[in-house]
Amino acid sequence: MSFIGNFFAGVDVGSLASKSVILKDGDIFATGLLKSGVNSVESGLSALNLALDAAGLKKEDLTYIVGTGYGRVSAPYANKAVTEITCHAKGANYLHPTVRTIIDMGGQDCKAIRIDEDGAVVDFAMNDKCAAGTGRFLEVMAEVFKVKLEDLGDIALSATDTVPMSSTCTVFAESETISLVARGEKPENILNGIHHSIANRIAGLFSRVGIASDVFFSGGVAKNTGMKSAIEQALKVTIVRPEIDPQLVGALGAAVIARSFAKKEGLWA
Amino acid sequence: MGLKTLDKITAALRSRPLELEQLRKEGKKVVGWLAYNIPEEIIYALGLIPIRVGQGGDGRLVEVGARHISTKNCVFVRQALGQFAEKTDPYIQQLDLVAIDATCIQLYRLEELINFYFEYKTVVLGVPRNFASKEGHEYFRKEVEFFTTKLEEFAGVTLEQSKLEKAISLYDGIREAIKSLYHYQSLDNAPLSWRDVSSVISAGYNLDRQNYLELLQELIAEVEENLTESPAGKEIEARIFLSGSLIPPGDTKLVDIIEQLGGRIVGDDLWSGLNFFLNLEIKESTPFGIADAYLDRVPHGSLPYLDLKSDGRLANLKHHLHEFGADGIIYHTLRYCDAFTFKAGETKDVLGKLPFLEIHTEYSGSDFEAIRTRVEAFIEMIKSKKEIAELV
Repeated sequence: MSFIGNFFAGVDVGSLASKSVILKDGDIFATGLLKSGVNSVESGLSALNLALDAAGLKKEDLTYIVGTGYGRVSAPYANKAVTEITCHAKGANYLHPTVRTIIDMGGQDCKAIRIDEDGAVVDFAMNDKCAAGTGRFLEVMAEVFKVKLEDLGDIALSATDTVPMSSTCTVFAESETISLVARGEKPENILNGIHHSIANRIAGLFSRVGIASDVFFSGGVAKNTGMKSAIEQALKVTIVRPEIDPQLVGALGAAVIARSFAKKEGLWA
Repeated sequence: MGLKTLDKITAALRSRPLELEQLRKEGKKVVGWLAYNIPEEIIYALGLIPIRVGQGGDGRLVEVGARHISTKNCVFVRQALGQFAEKTDPYIQQLDLVAIDATCIQLYRLEELINFYFEYKTVVLGVPRNFASKEGHEYFRKEVEFFTTKLEEFAGVTLEQSKLEKAISLYDGIREAIKSLYHYQSLDNAPLSWRDVSSVISAGYNLDRQNYLELLQELIAEVEENLTESPAGKEIEARIFLSGSLIPPGDTKLVDIIEQLGGRIVGDDLWSGLNFFLNLEIKESTPFGIADAYLDRVPHGSLPYLDLKSDGRLANLKHHLHEFGADGIIYHTLRYCDAFTFKAGETKDVLGKLPFLEIHTEYSGSDFEAIRTRVEAFIEMIKSKKEIAELV
């Protein structure tokens, strides 16, 4: 079976999940998403193969591949590597050209990105090297409360109160949470406090780069409704949600950049 | 780059520890010093051998130093303390006296500790916080006078006017030469890089100063001979300017990352780099004249911003960003080097729209990938202004 069109792929290997997006000319054609393994090359390839299978394509059908995420440094299947910061900017711009600010919360870091009308990064800031304010932090909290990660946000939104959380260090927050549970605080109220604590920390990132509408939320944590609400309150903004899985935005941006590189290198007219 | 004089400098450094050992056997005394405001001219004029101390980039030595000082002190101070504690560095082994200026309070603490724990002879030079005021100048004049007296006692000689004049002339020559090298490294057709110049500055910590000046002049002549035609149609480059906390000899993490990712460092305003050699005009060859000149040059970052609009550091930074054609600034802060960390936001605001990246780091390798991502994105951001924006 042969296809008419040009195909470009973006592969985003993150610390917790690996994602891929295939563009057919300018449109999203197929996607792939799975948990990252220990081997980032295999994780990236598996995510790419998922999307290829969904599209009914072979790797040879792809005109250009861009790798991103922390696994971009070991992505032999990719023609080029680009940072996830640039990719999230391009991905957000592709989906919503009016976006000027991006909050990207992934497995191991959190980014505040400012972009222009072309989707080019004009400034950015990232969290410190600890896990506070990341997907991993929320995973630990889900384990503490023995609930599913995807339910955390809804549980937080059902709170009747906000229990202040003084620590956003993952290790200290875990022990503080256990103390709060022992004190008789309701889990939903503690989780609400945790979400607001992270949101306030993220607001600190924006003190460095500023904020302008529209504001876009990407990364795996963007699926968390409680986090979206807490960030909207902390930043006093309304967040634009992507139509696609927000975890795929980086891979989408990588695919958009792959198309651009292909054009520049004369592989696509 | 293959410049012969760089090889000569490396060879001179190789033989320097033995040379120092021999000189000490002959009765010469070695004065180790750090950090920014110690007037080397006076040390040299008294016939003492100045050695600039302080290296970075060694996480193990940081841990050794941390046995004697809080882990809330910056890694540079902790490593310096580790060096004094271990005494395996060939230059530290040769020190008869350690002079430390109190520009940075953490370094002042270092002086107390090496004196207390490791029994080094030390001398401290007080530095005023209100460096721009008349009272600050009066205080510093007295401090330099006292410092001179202490060194005279240590050397067993009195400071002679003619020797001080010669020393000032020598150091003026070194300062001019370093400024020239900075100019050349920023050119498109430069036969040497910022890293080369940084290595040359590091060599100047230890080499005999007269020999050092001769090598610098030889290097400049060789650089001038090897300036090539400016390349036509060269690739778009990200010209990076380094600012913030010091990047001492041995600390190559950030520089390595920038260069590995295709960034080109074209200048700095580091106190371990160009700033140390700038705007030091000694109008009167006396300790008072030296005191005034040191206080009037570009101030050290540990001293407060007294007035953002007139601050010499910011004016100097803006001037050199322009002179070296920088596309963006990487503001490097060491963990617990609070003076620079606190100034990062203000500096960014003052510079306006120039791409600005703050990198907060230490000497361990645990944040290597995190820094790499930030720097890579920063370089992409700079290049996208010239290149990627056209693609999409």
